[in-house]
This record gives sequence, C-alpha cells and structure tokens, in this order.
Amino acid sequence: MKATIERATLLKSLSHVQSVVERRNTIPILSNVLLEASADGRIRLMATDLDLQVVESIEAAVDQAGSTTVSAHTLFDIARKLPEGSQVELNAADGKMQVNAGRARFNLSTLPRDDFPVIAEGELPTKFELPSETLKQIIDKTRFAISTEETRYYLNGIFFHVSDEAQPVLKAAATDGHRLARVTVPRPEGAEGMPDVIIPRKCIAELRKLLDEVDGSVEITLSPTKIRFGLGNAILTSKLIDGTFPDYSRVIPTGNDKMLKIDPRSFEEGVDRVATIATEKTRAVKMALERDKITLSVTSPENGTAAEEVSGEYTSEGFEIGFNARYLLDILGQIEGDTVEVHLADAAAPTLIRENDKAPALYVLMPMRV
Amino acid sequence: MSIRRLPEHLVNRIAAGEVVERPSSALKELVENAIDAGATRITIRIESGGIDLIEVSDDGCGMERDEMALALERHATSKLPDDAIEAVSTLGFRGEALPSIASVSRFTLESRVRGADGWSRIVDNGRLEGEGPAALPPGTRIKVEQLFEKVPARRKFLKSARSEYAACVDVVKRLAMARPDIAFSLEHEGRKALSVQGDQSRPDRVAALTDRALIDNSVGIDFEREGVRLGGVAGLPTFNRGVADHQYLFVNGRPVKDRLLVGAVRGAYADVLARDRHPVVALFLEVPADAVDVNVHPAKTEVRFRDSALIRGMIVSGLRRALDEAGHRSAQRPSLGALGKWQSEPLDFGMPTPHQPAAPVQHQVWDRRASFITPPAPMGRAEPAWTPPPETISYPLGVARGQVAKTYIVAEAEDGLVIVDQHAAHERLVLERMKRAVEGGTVKSQALLLPEVVELDESACDRLEARIVELAELGLELERFGPAAMLVRATPALLGAGDTRGLITDLADELAAYDEALSLKERLDHVAATMACHGSVRAGRVLSVAEMNALLREMEVTPHSGQCNHGRPTWVKLAHGDIEKLFGRK
Repeated sequence: MKATIERATLLKSLSHVQSVVERRNTIPILSNVLLEASADGRIRLMATDLDLQVVESIEAAVDQAGSTTVSAHTLFDIARKLPEGSQVELNAADGKMQVNAGRARFNLSTLPRDDFPVIAEGELPTKFELPSETLKQIIDKTRFAISTEETRYYLNGIFFHVSDEAQPVLKAAATDGHRLARVTVPRPEGAEGMPDVIIPRKCIAELRKLLDEVDGSVEITLSPTKIRFGLGNAILTSKLIDGTFPDYSRVIPTGNDKMLKIDPRSFEEGVDRVATIATEKTRAVKMALERDKITLSVTSPENGTAAEEVSGEYTSEGFEIGFNARYLLDILGQIEGDTVEVHLADAAAPTLIRENDKAPALYVLMPMRV
Repeated sequence: MSIRRLPEHLVNRIAAGEVVERPSSALKELVENAIDAGATRITIRIESGGIDLIEVSDDGCGMERDEMALALERHATSKLPDDAIEAVSTLGFRGEALPSIASVSRFTLESRVRGADGWSRIVDNGRLEGEGPAALPPGTRIKVEQLFEKVPARRKFLKSARSEYAACVDVVKRLAMARPDIAFSLEHEGRKALSVQGDQSRPDRVAALTDRALIDNSVGIDFEREGVRLGGVAGLPTFNRGVADHQYLFVNGRPVKDRLLVGAVRGAYADVLARDRHPVVALFLEVPADAVDVNVHPAKTEVRFRDSALIRGMIVSGLRRALDEAGHRSAQRPSLGALGKWQSEPLDFGMPTPHQPAAPVQHQVWDRRASFITPPAPMGRAEPAWTPPPETISYPLGVARGQVAKTYIVAEAEDGLVIVDQHAAHERLVLERMKRAVEGGTVKSQALLLPEVVELDESACDRLEARIVELAELGLELERFGPAAMLVRATPALLGAGDTRGLITDLADELAAYDEALSLKERLDHVAATMACHGSVRAGRVLSVAEMNALLREMEVTPHSGQCNHGRPTWVKLAHGDIEKLFGRK
C-alpha cells in the first residue's frame, strides 16, 4: 500500500475513528485502525471495539492499493504533531508502515489486515432518514439521563420506539432511575413497524461527535440487534443493548395538578447559586412554593445556609419539596424557551417538567426527602 | 418392620453424636463438670489431640460410691436440685455428658469425697468392665482413652491430631478465661501447653491467655443497665487481628459463640476498623438466669436472650463508651521489628552520611543569616516550638518539635517521643467532624422513579422487613413485594445511583450473619471517609509548628483519633525507656 494524504484530512478522520478505540485492550488488534487504500483514490479508515464500529472514507492520492492495520492512537498522535499543511505519505510493506511527512519519518509496526474483526451487520430491514438537527436534538435532550450503573445495563442507553397515537411518532427516552427524559418527534417515513431498540451510551457519544460534521439527513437502518448510521463519509455501526427497557410511560405523571410557570434561566441560576453551599455529594435543594413565588434554600451542617427567592406563576396551595440540584440543573439546561412548566403533586411524587404541552421534550424528576 | 424401644447403650451412642462431636467437646464437658464441682485447681492431660487420651483431674467435691454408678446413667445429674430448668446456675445440667462419652470410649472414673475412700469404675464403650477401690487425693479424676475407637465412622471424620489439639486448647482457654479464680494447667504429650495460677484478676487472666500486649492496648469495661452487667476487656481498634479468633464472649461464665454477640461487637467497632480486621475482646455478660435460655443446643455454645435488643444495645453502647474514653489513645508502641531496624543503623560509622554533600551549600545560606536571632520560618523545620517548654507536661501528645519527610510530626511529650502521621490523623479528625454534622441532620434520601424489585429468598425478605423502620432512618425505603422480593422505593442520596441490588443482598446477608445492618452504615461512612480523605492535609505538605500543635491539641480532644479510618494507628510513642534501649543504656 502506498498513498499520500493531506495532513488535515487524515487528522480529522483519525480523530473520529480513534475515539472508538479503547485505551487498553486485551486483544491487540483492537488498538489498531484498519487502513484500506483502493485504486479509485480513496482510503477507508476503520476502527472497532467489537460492539461499535466506525468506517470513514477520505480522498487520497493512491499509488498502490492495499491495506494494513496500525495503532490508532499512535497514528493519531503523529498526525496531530505533524506540521500544518504537510502531505503525509503512508507506505506499508513487510509488516511495517512508513509514515513520511516533511523531514519526519516514522516506521510503525503493523498487524495483518485479515485478523481485523468486522461486525457482521446481517440484514437491517428497517430503514429511514432523520434530519441531523432532529437527531442532535434527541440526543442532547436525553443523554444526560442515561444511567452509568452497569448492573442495570438496559438503562445504559437511549430507548427508541415508535408509537401510534393521534399521529405516528418516534419516541426516545433515557432514565437512570432518578429522572427520565423523553423526546417525541413525528415518525419518519419508513420507520413504521420499527422494533424497540436501546442504543448504547458509547454509540450515542460517537454519533453525537460525528453529527457535528453532517448537514443533511442521516440514514438509519436497523434490525432488533444492530443499528447503522450513514453520515456522509462515515458509517457508524453498533450492536444494540439486548434487554428490555422498563415501561416508562407508567412513571410519567398525568394527574399533577399544581403548576408552576417560571423563567428557566432565573430558576437555573437561583438553583446554581444556592447549591454552592451544599458541599455534600447530595446537593439537596429545598423549594418552598408560595403564591407566585418560590424560595430555594440549602442548609449544610458545615457551611451554613443559603436562600433565594425566584418569582414565578403559581396559584395552588403552597408546600415544600426537595430536589437534587444537579438533576434540576441538567434538566433546566435543556430548556430553550422563556418559560418552563413544572407540574407538581406533593413532596414525594414524581414531578413533570416541560417547556409547554407542545414541546417535544419532557422530563420527569423524583424528589428527594430532605 | 416393627417399632422397638432402643437399648440403653444405643441411646447413649446417639446422644453422643450430639454432645461428643470431637475430643474437644468431650474435654469441654469434663472441665465444666470439674468447675461445677467447685474445684480450685484443674489439671488436664491429653495425648495426640485428645484422641488417645484425655485426663481431667480436679480437687472438687468428688462423688460417693453409689453416686458414681448413677452418674453414668443418662439424665442423671446433681446440678438440678429442683425442677427449675429455667434458672440454671451451673455450666452443665442435662446429665448427658458422662454416659455419652462413656459409650464411645474406654472410660475410667475415679473419685473420692473428703473423709472417705476413693472408688473407681471402668467402662469400655458403654459396658461396665470393673470397679474397685482407688487411691487418689480428694476430688475426681476422669480418663477417656481411645475415643471413638468403636465408632469408625466418627473417627474417620476427626481432623489431624494437631487441629484437634488446637480445638482442645481453645476450649480450655475459654473456660479458663471465664474462671480466673481457678488454676488451670494443660499438658499435651508431656509438654506443658498452658498454665495459669488461680485467684487472678480478670484482665490479667485474659492477657495471660491471649496476648501479653493486650494489657497495654485495651480498655476495661464495666457497665450495668437493667440488671444486666457487662464487664471485660476491649482491645483498642489499633490492636486488631486478621481473623476473629481472639473474641471471647461469656454469658454467666459460660463461653458462647453467638451471632448476636459477634454482630454486636462488629457493630461497636464498625467505624474504627476496616472490614477485614477484627478486634480482640473478652466480654463477660451477666444476666439474670431467667433472662437467658442456655438450653438451645447440647453443646451450649448458643444462647437465647429474652430481650435480645437490650443485650445488643448494651454491648454496642458499652464498647463504644469504653472506646470513646480511650479517646486519642492508640497506645501502639513501635513494633520490636521496627526498633531492631533502628538499632542496626549505627553500624556504618566511618561512612559519610548521605546528607553531607548537600550540607556545605546549606551552611553558606545559614552562615549568611547567622546574625538573625531566629531563622525565617520556611527555612528551618527544626526550630524550637514557640510554646515554652514547661507546657510539655500538660499535653499527652506533647509539643511539636518538627516534621520529618513532610509526613510525620515529631513531638516531645513528658514521657517520650511522639510521632504522628499527619495525613491519617487529620483525615480522622475531618471524618469525626463530618460525622458529628451528619448526626445533627437527617439522612437525605433520593426517591426512585422506577422502584427496583430485588428478588431474595423468603427468610432474607423477612429479616429485611423486620428492619424497615431502622433502614428508613438511614434513607433506604423498602417495601415487601410478594413473598420473595423487596421493593426499593428510595436510596440514601449520598450513595448516588449505585448498585441497589448489591446493597440489598449484602444487607440481607449481614442480617443473617450478624443480625445487624452494618453495610449500609459502612457504605455511608465510606462516602464520608472518601470526602474526609480529600478534604484533609496530605502527606508531603509542610506544616508550621503552630499548625502541628493545633493538630495535636485537636487529636487530644477528639474521640477515636488514635486510629485512622482503617484501624491503623495515627501516632506512635517512643517512650524514654525505648530510646534508652536504642543507646544500650538499659
């Protein structure tokens, strides 16, 4: 294999693929990136951790077609440190790959291309397209609620499913057992009959990174066990979490009769300010609701107390409720409009938060006993 | 097949299966009989771990000739003068031991009442072989030879002579600890294994039987509540062991191994000792005879209390109070090994010390500043403390003299040199402060959006259900969910979104093993300890003398400051005597 690429192009696609590669691997070849130069002037870069695989194709001047694998992180570091604007020459032969750029020369050891594992996609019967902006919105508004608890592995991702309500919709939900985030969008064409899938956290993170480079729409094809995202030059393929996502619709409260309308920015800032006092990991914020006013307060046995009043629209009976400040901030950070609706029932019941009843995103938060 | 009443010798052999499991259990019965007979000196001789021979001689009251025949009958005893089995005050009472042992060994019973002649009976595996006059001092001598010779099944299951011997020693130790007024001696294959004098004090006896160092590293306990009395010796947390073999628990002078008591001891030491370390304790519980049932098991190592919550509460608070009084004490002197290393140092006499090459440079700096009365603070870590010397006397941990390796504070106390690990000490102080803060408030709990169902076996669920209120106070809200599952509604907020299932299973296991929900408290403490660790002075930080003194003074007034969160000492003292030893003056 012999090819020449512009350093910036190589660096960009390597930055995409190398983040799939785990830092430490028990199987040596998983640390490597597969480089495949074809005679039509393109190089395919491919990396995998056996659950997730990314393939990116870039233009290059190919003198001699061929393929090899080299350490992804090493090649990435080399590309990063090469001078800007330089041409990088890759030359693989006899179990070594030479990387030449300007006056720098590297000789990297390689592993045989045939050992490189490729995820067998199998048949992917469902196929639809989503605008990249919509997909970005879905991910941004739900990913903070993904659980990191390995014992409840079925919560370690975003749950996608379709549903026929007044009109056909696609719903994405994530929860860690304390809070829930759900986004509802109109069902794209071709998604009818889509199986329920849980897309793992790592795939979501990689997908989100790649989405920044895509303008048009993303082609999604999936089966009950695999999903593939076509993102322009890159293709991301992932295994899906084999588990059953809990029936979350049960926990979305419908009868919360006390409604608070408030400016999300002043609410968020108020919570952030009083939470300074809370040094503990718990960061519990108490919220006392009165007519058209809420008082946020934190009491720390070591540091003292903090309180802030925020005005809002509230007409029901006053009461007190506690929340984890971090959870509140996560949710409020996702609200873009000027008002947010907080639907409450009592100090122990789940609370519903959303911009308004038209908004695609909806959040449920469990209170804290303080 | 017809039903028949079993012959006497078979009944005895079946009973022997319960009472006499191995040589040590036979030995236990015999020594207990000797104690019950009012002996002041008990001599024990065993051969090959008690399998070949057990001989117990005492100077107790002895038995009459016709009583001896009755003693070898089943359910014959002198220890229940009336029918009040609820109020047993002797160690034995079932009347099973002697006939059981006699049915599985060659058994020689010799006894003499004061003022009469001795008599002996020999029984070979349940059959009377002969009787006749015997010459012996007043008291009783029992010889058990070739235990289980005719019960090959049982004999095969015995362990090696060495481990049977270890079990025998343990039995004698426990009984000897219970009765410091009686002299005990144990001889194994002609070698004296254990010998204690009579009329000892309890702490002396405990120390003699466990570890001589225990006396210096323990606190005494004497505590009474509602007619129950708790006495004994509790080892300091820093004086811990890797296995729980040095925990001796006695109820009314009877050695027991009861999970309630073991759990209570663990609970009392929970936040001062790492999970895998075990304290050394000898606890003597005296309860009214009718408040405890010892007739649970033939071997009588388990007991049942009428009010077990009271007993558990007593042990935990009694131990805690005693340990609190110990305060900052860690009382660990440097180990002999460490002292030995120190001694070997002066050997390299002629060699230049490694400090010398650097010395000239420093000297120049110092020379130039020689005109200053006191060198500037950052330069010298060995300057005299600002506090006037006479005050040394008033502080147990002394006055800071300097810092070594930016990690250890060296202080001079009235009776020696104190070395403090600054990180460990400060970590403990921060933790104690945090715990005080937490005790003031309630534990916050985070409700779960999706209540988690944890499947457990039914008895585990019952145990958890019984503690629902107690667990809710710690922020864990549980509900019974069908016969074999628990529903978790809320978890302590401090633990974050942790592994709930693991926590519940651990708790259920602990309730089974110790009757105490330790791991929840432990996990909460662990979070607190981690935060304490991050919030405390690290090793490697240079402290000023004023800072060091402030740390020492705070340690003196803070309970449990003698050990770090893992049971390691935070300070050691090199007494004047130890220093003198290093220089060969003593």
